[in-house]
Amino acid sequence: MKDLPTKDILLFRSCLVSVEYPGVEASTKFVFDKLGIDYAISPKQTCCTGLGHYSDVFNQIDTSAIGARNFKIAKEMGRPNLVMMCATCYAINKKSVKLLNKKDKLRNHINNLFEENGLGHLKYEKNDLKPTENIFHVVDILYAKKDEIKKHIKYDLSDYTIATHHGCHYCKVHYEDTIGGVRDPNIMDELIEECGCKTIGWYDHKRATCGTGFRQRYSNPNLSFTATADKMNAIADEDVDILVHLCPNCHIQFDRYQDLISKREGRKFNAIHLNITQFLAIAMGGDFDKVIGVKAHTVPIDSVIKELKEVKNER
Amino acid sequence: MTFKQKLNDSPIDFAIEIINDVKNSKDEGVLKCVQCGMCTSTCPAARHSDYNPRDIIERVLAGDESIPNEENLWNCFYCYTCHSVCPVGNSVCEVNQILKQIAIAKEIGYDKLYEYLGFADSYFTAAIGAIPERFFPDIDQDVPGWWEFRQNLEQIRNELELDPLMPSEEVIDEVSKILTITGFKSKIERIRASEEVEK
Repeated sequence: MKDLPTKDILLFRSCLVSVEYPGVEASTKFVFDKLGIDYAISPKQTCCTGLGHYSDVFNQIDTSAIGARNFKIAKEMGRPNLVMMCATCYAINKKSVKLLNKKDKLRNHINNLFEENGLGHLKYEKNDLKPTENIFHVVDILYAKKDEIKKHIKYDLSDYTIATHHGCHYCKVHYEDTIGGVRDPNIMDELIEECGCKTIGWYDHKRATCGTGFRQRYSNPNLSFTATADKMNAIADEDVDILVHLCPNCHIQFDRYQDLISKREGRKFNAIHLNITQFLAIAMGGDFDKVIGVKAHTVPIDSVIKELKEVKNER
Repeated sequence: MTFKQKLNDSPIDFAIEIINDVKNSKDEGVLKCVQCGMCTSTCPAARHSDYNPRDIIERVLAGDESIPNEENLWNCFYCYTCHSVCPVGNSVCEVNQILKQIAIAKEIGYDKLYEYLGFADSYFTAAIGAIPERFFPDIDQDVPGWWEFRQNLEQIRNELELDPLMPSEEVIDEVSKILTITGFKSKIERIRASEEVEK
């Protein structure tokens, strides 16, 4: 398996996390601090362009030029390991690094534009970053510290029925780098197990898309919600209480639209939706308002987690 | 939908154009397609609409340059499921994105972007890819409480002790400059002008 860094990390801010589920950022910091992971956030780093890119508004040159700027910021901070909270940021940045290293024409074109327009300080040199060695998702870093999770667990969540939804842009885009399986993704199931919980593991449609489909969600809602319903029905068939996510796009699709899809399907869906870092932060004793950010959620977290049971201290 | 298949003398030229596209990360993957149909059998858009990824590649390989006009192309979810299961390392998902950029370059895809120009605007004003405001009324209607939450966002972020949301003017200026020199800004202006004409 690839080497997983636990230091020199730039925690890459995500626009969807920032404006939809800011508790994911607070929870990531909380869990990283507990696990002794060395990271920083930069106010200079900007959005990866993902939503605009996958709505076909940004083309590859626009996206990779913005990427080159962010990569330079990471390098100059001495934090060449970019760690993403959003699966789309992860896929977008990894692809830009791959293309900038491999396609001389693209790299030279962008560098020339920078040079000719007073932005020479942003130039990207071949192999400034490596796609496998420098570009990660938060779950990769948690996986590196997997064995240390157990000792920080304060609350026992094992009474709940838990399932995972692994975002497509973590698992499927750069599948050669995906940890824990692509066709049967399990990285989050393994992390949850370290909290003393057992997930339901495989379920029908486990590897399927959340249904957002970028433009589908807005221009083609019927298609989008029909695809989401496949998965929501499969989850309800298993009586899932908590669905765990790793991408804010999927999180929006399930949490924001659960009631609407319930009405469409004529079936009440009751699961709550947590990012993996929120799940870990709850288990580690994070405050619901100051760390988890429950006020941002549409399906109330306390509709399922009504009280917390402390783990029996047997260590 | 009917289309006229236009086979030219060297049908592979179209595939080569796609292979040479800056977005392509799969080398000559498209030429290796064996038409097994794994892509279509796992595709959520194929499951719920008339989009057929296997057929897209068949037509690319036949040199059918009318595909960028195809309405169904716009049903792809960009979930990369086809890309992840392809036994020969092709990616219909990437080919689809390239076909759409061809459609946009030919100005036939402009109308598909009108709703999404907000992504460009938010980049120039805040260097952030915010959900375009024209979708807010829909979201407000579909998601009870969302609008109130958005009004309280700053307070919620403060409670979580997060850094300010907005980047500095200096950062926004640099990002705007990048998106001007790549030709992005003028492309957006052309698309917006086209929308104005249609109105």
